[in-house]
Amino acid sequence: MAEKTSPDYTLGTEGQLKWKNKYFFGPKGIGFSEPGIVGLDDAKMSAYNVAKSSYQIHPDVFNMDYLSKVTGIDKKEIIRRMHRMYNDRLIVFVMNPAVQVYGWGLYYWFVKLRKEATREQKQELSDWFQRKDDICTGYECSEGDFDFYNGNHMRVLDNLLSSVIEPWRTTYPVEFVHLCPICRDIRESHINMWDALSDQYRNNYWGKDQLEKLAKIQNKMDLTDLKIFKALNDKRSVAELFDFNVLSKISGLNPKDMEDGIKELVETKRIIVPLFYLNFEKLGIKQHMFVVRMFQITPSYRKCEIMDELANLSEFNLVKQFADAFYDGVFFAYDEISDINALREKIQSYAEVEEIKEAIIPKMYRRWVCRLDDANDFWEECVFTDDFLEDRTDKNSSVYCPLIGKGK
Amino acid sequence: MKIEAPRKYVIDNLKYALNPASIAVVGASRYNGKVGYKVIEGLNKWGYKGIIYPVNPRAEKVHGLKAYKTIIDIPGEVDLVFIAVPAHMVKMILEHSVAKKAKIVVIATSAFKEIGRGKLQDELTQYCRDNKLPLIGPNLVGMGSPYLNFNCGFIPYLPKPGPVAMISQSGANLLAALGTSQMWNFGMSFFVGLGNKADVDFSEFIAYAAQDEHTHCLAIYSEGIDCPEAFVKACKEVVPYKPVVAIKVGGSKIGLKAAFAHTASENQGTTNALYDDLFEKAGAIRATTWQEFLDISLALGMQPALKDDNVVMITNGGGSGLLSCDHFERCGMPMRELNQISPMLAARIRAYMPMFGSPLNPVDIAGTASPKNYKGAITQAVRDPNVSAIYGSICPTSVTDVPAVTQIYIDIYNQNKHLGKPFIMECQGGEECQESIMKLRAAGIPAYPTAEQAVNAIVALRQYAKIRERMGK
Repeated sequence: MAEKTSPDYTLGTEGQLKWKNKYFFGPKGIGFSEPGIVGLDDAKMSAYNVAKSSYQIHPDVFNMDYLSKVTGIDKKEIIRRMHRMYNDRLIVFVMNPAVQVYGWGLYYWFVKLRKEATREQKQELSDWFQRKDDICTGYECSEGDFDFYNGNHMRVLDNLLSSVIEPWRTTYPVEFVHLCPICRDIRESHINMWDALSDQYRNNYWGKDQLEKLAKIQNKMDLTDLKIFKALNDKRSVAELFDFNVLSKISGLNPKDMEDGIKELVETKRIIVPLFYLNFEKLGIKQHMFVVRMFQITPSYRKCEIMDELANLSEFNLVKQFADAFYDGVFFAYDEISDINALREKIQSYAEVEEIKEAIIPKMYRRWVCRLDDANDFWEECVFTDDFLEDRTDKNSSVYCPLIGKGK
Repeated sequence: MKIEAPRKYVIDNLKYALNPASIAVVGASRYNGKVGYKVIEGLNKWGYKGIIYPVNPRAEKVHGLKAYKTIIDIPGEVDLVFIAVPAHMVKMILEHSVAKKAKIVVIATSAFKEIGRGKLQDELTQYCRDNKLPLIGPNLVGMGSPYLNFNCGFIPYLPKPGPVAMISQSGANLLAALGTSQMWNFGMSFFVGLGNKADVDFSEFIAYAAQDEHTHCLAIYSEGIDCPEAFVKACKEVVPYKPVVAIKVGGSKIGLKAAFAHTASENQGTTNALYDDLFEKAGAIRATTWQEFLDISLALGMQPALKDDNVVMITNGGGSGLLSCDHFERCGMPMRELNQISPMLAARIRAYMPMFGSPLNPVDIAGTASPKNYKGAITQAVRDPNVSAIYGSICPTSVTDVPAVTQIYIDIYNQNKHLGKPFIMECQGGEECQESIMKLRAAGIPAYPTAEQAVNAIVALRQYAKIRERMGK
């Protein structure tokens, strides 16, 4: 039988629109043979990969001319400061791949423990989440309506339930686990992602005077450090983020090829966003999390509008919209340098909002797949976390998934 | 990249690849599943006594050892740099290695010429050559030696110690050989994967093996020999003293492409006949199949060359004898009858067999043969000055005492070793035969589970003698 040519539904193209004329759902489930898909070790990823592997000893893989110009600081001083910030575990260079754009399931889940849960039990769970490679991003809450807020990208929902949630759900005093599939990844780590309004993609959000306030309330990063950090993330062509000559000197790869590749992925296809992450735990500050439920009669488009309008509040450094869940969205703002009451009031000002739950987050386990685990000397250890190409229905597999049951 | 002859500075530094006083493992990982973790795990597990320097700019410690951000930050001297980081980092690591004055680098990393990055691979190679820093790889699995308790790479175990130096372009086949070593007592002096062999060439490891005291045979698995002049030169130096066995794959139509995709081996325009000529010129013995490659390497590593065709086979199984004599003939070395070898030998051996045995050659001492029969027949044969090699065979019947016959064979071999006559054994049967093979091999006697394998081994021993004669030795 002759093989049929795959329809070209490369993301963001006419072909995709044509596909959507026929099917009102997007292509689901990544396969490397699908149009537009790029592997993490693809040549187009080279600029990111070279920078990611070497910035710890070569901060000059980033565009020092640009940084010097916008911060008014000497290049050598910027390099010195970047070395220090990295060595003190204050910053880390990471990237967010558009897993949900690809069609992978991106599931977040809130956990609340029962009142009788002991401090030790919570710590045990926290340690387990920290070690569990399937969890790509996770947070521990210190007070409020939740105890944990974690996330996975999984192709098969059963795998999440079986491998990640079931092992502790019935053996610990868990009050609830609320699963929240992401439908729009709007902002993470201050930066707008692909699901933000198109013209706001990659905008970098900090509230008014937040940098100055942050500089005053801790002694690990001064205002100059913070300005360097912000400048690294500020929106401009991704070509201006890197020094391709340095990348080429390190790798031997062609600078033009690297530049073209990363531009295509970040700016044209919009399937990865490289950025610097700020280790708020190390700075001794906390995230204030608002989890919002809207009335079920609220139309989908309106939910999106509300999320986008709230996302305009630049104090929010994280904004995500859920679907098929108890909650519709989540917002983070730094507790110590944001007007939390004003933010709460703003959310409440929407008549569509039925309820807001809140929690305080002092600790983050991973920024995407990158472990933020300095305590166990796993700082910046990156482990690819998903169930891609795995058959967890195989009883002999170490990751056998009986969903919920006795297992092997 | 091409060389005309083995380079002295490379050969001199190869000792640091197999017996380094210190190793920097670049890409040393804290995670169990990663190559950089396994390398250090393997070094520790197998008893490496030198200093290990993990290099990882993100980690404070790896395997409980202090980690360094770069090679340059390491306080002591570095003999070997083992690189297990992505290809895009290799250039910088090589520059650091040169700055650190490391003695040799090994690049396990893939994604160079084999995926179209030939220019980058060549540039890195040239850089190393300009700085006289030998580079093994890229795209390899590792290396080691059981004599030195050294296992460097992502290799699950060390082979048994023995006479064969295994020099392989393919990591998978190298691992297969190591597995055979465990299962069948295939002893090795050292092993190394060469991968794309961008810089260090077969010829240089051949020259190194020539000097290695534990190596008595060189086994070379190749997917392409791109420095034929150097190969011939190196072989000609070593072959008079140590045999070289070579297998060359990637000669089929699709194999040409597969060899390039695997180890960037370029075989376009080459033919099997061309390689036949090359090996002939080099004095290397060419094996066709993997099994033959291992079998004849073992025999050549354990036994002296066979000076003529006077091989006497003593068996308790007429069937194994027939398989053998047919295969000898197919190999162009037909067996000679006993009376052609030595007029009185048949009569002397007759005394040790029942009337229904056959003193032809193969000598069939019959299925009822006792250890006493074996001992008498073999002793008569080996003491006959016209007999040049003994080929024993055990086909277990319910009356065959396999362990006793095995021990007798070993004892006679040890008593007559000074005569310089090769001893080969075939044990065809079940578990007791495998045990016998293991024991014989441990005693230095190449033993095999099938007649054809044993015959191939004997033919190779004869071939080696002819090669030496041709070379005037």
